[in-house]
Amino acid sequence: MPRRTANTPPDDSQGPDGFDKLYRDHVDLLYRYAHRLCGEVEAAKDLVQETFLNAYRGFRGFRGDAQVSTWLYTIASRACMRMRRKRKGEPERELSLDEFVPTSEGEFRLQIPMEGLTPEEAFENKELREALDQAIQKLPKKYRMTLVLRDMEGLSAKEVGAIIGASERAVKSRLHRARLFVRRELSARGITQPGHGSETPSMRGSLT
Amino acid sequence: MKKARDSRTRRAGKMTPHPGHGPGHCLNILKQLSAYIDDELPSEICEELRRHLGACPNCEVFIASLRDTVTLCRHRPTPALSASDRAALRLNIIRASKSGSRR
Ligand SMILES: [Zn+2]
Repeated sequence: MPRRTANTPPDDSQGPDGFDKLYRDHVDLLYRYAHRLCGEVEAAKDLVQETFLNAYRGFRGFRGDAQVSTWLYTIASRACMRMRRKRKGEPERELSLDEFVPTSEGEFRLQIPMEGLTPEEAFENKELREALDQAIQKLPKKYRMTLVLRDMEGLSAKEVGAIIGASERAVKSRLHRARLFVRRELSARGITQPGHGSETPSMRGSLT
Repeated sequence: MKKARDSRTRRAGKMTPHPGHGPGHCLNILKQLSAYIDDELPSEICEELRRHLGACPNCEVFIASLRDTVTLCRHRPTPALSASDRAALRLNIIRASKSGSRR
C-alpha cells in the first residue's frame, strides 16, 4: 500500500470519482505539457488520453512519495517516447556541443530580435513565434523533453532527471545543447523586428 | 576583440585555469553558459566568466542571444483546452478504459 500524502489522489481512484478528481486536477497541466511536446492539438490530445489511460491502469503502482504531477509527467514522457513521429523532422540523434560552436565572428554575433522588448512584445512578431515553435519541434525528442520540462514547465534539473530517468548532470548537459540548438535556429533565420510604430523609436534600420 | 575593460579588475594572484581570450577559451566559455545563466557555477568560475564576457564582445553577444532564447521559452504561451474539449476528452478516456483497448 503506497504511503499517502496530501498530494496523492483518493484511494478510490479506480472508481469514477477517483478518476474524475485526477482528471479535473491535472488535465490542464498535462495538456499544456503535451502541446509543448507535440506542437499540435490532435497529437497533444492523443498523448493526454494515453497518459490518463496508463495512469489509471498503473495507479496501484503509484509510489506515494512522489507528487502526482511528477508521476503524470513521467507517464506522459514515456508515452511520448513511444509515440511514432508522424511528421518529418530531425531524426532522433545526439546533439554534440561542437556543432554549436560558432566558426565565424558573424555566427557569434547572430541575434534574436527582442532587443528592448518584453517577451510578450517579442511574441507579437509572428515570425519569431513560429521560429521558436519550429525550433523546439525540430529538437530530437529527449532534448525537446528536457527543454520543455526545464525551461517551459519550470521544473528543477533534479525533478526533470526523476521524470526522464537521467542523472541531474545528464539533464543539464542535454538542456544546454537543446538551448544552443534553439538559439542557433532562431538567430540564423535573420528575423527582424517588425515595426511597432512609435513604440520603438530607437530601432535601428530593421524596418522594411 | 581583446580590449580590456577597465571596470573589471583582476584579482591579484588569482589562479585561473583558462587564462587568455583565444578561440579555445571562448569554446570553454560557451560550454558553461547554461550553467552560468542558471546560476549553478561556483563563484570563482562565475567571476572568471564575467571577466571574459566583459572583454570578449563575441561571447557577450552570444550569451545575450542564449539568454533571450531561454526567456522566450519561459514565456511562450500555450493554448489551453476549451471546456468542451476537456469534456469530450474525458468521455473518450472513460470509453477507452472500459473497452480495454489501448486505442
Ligand atoms: Zn570569448
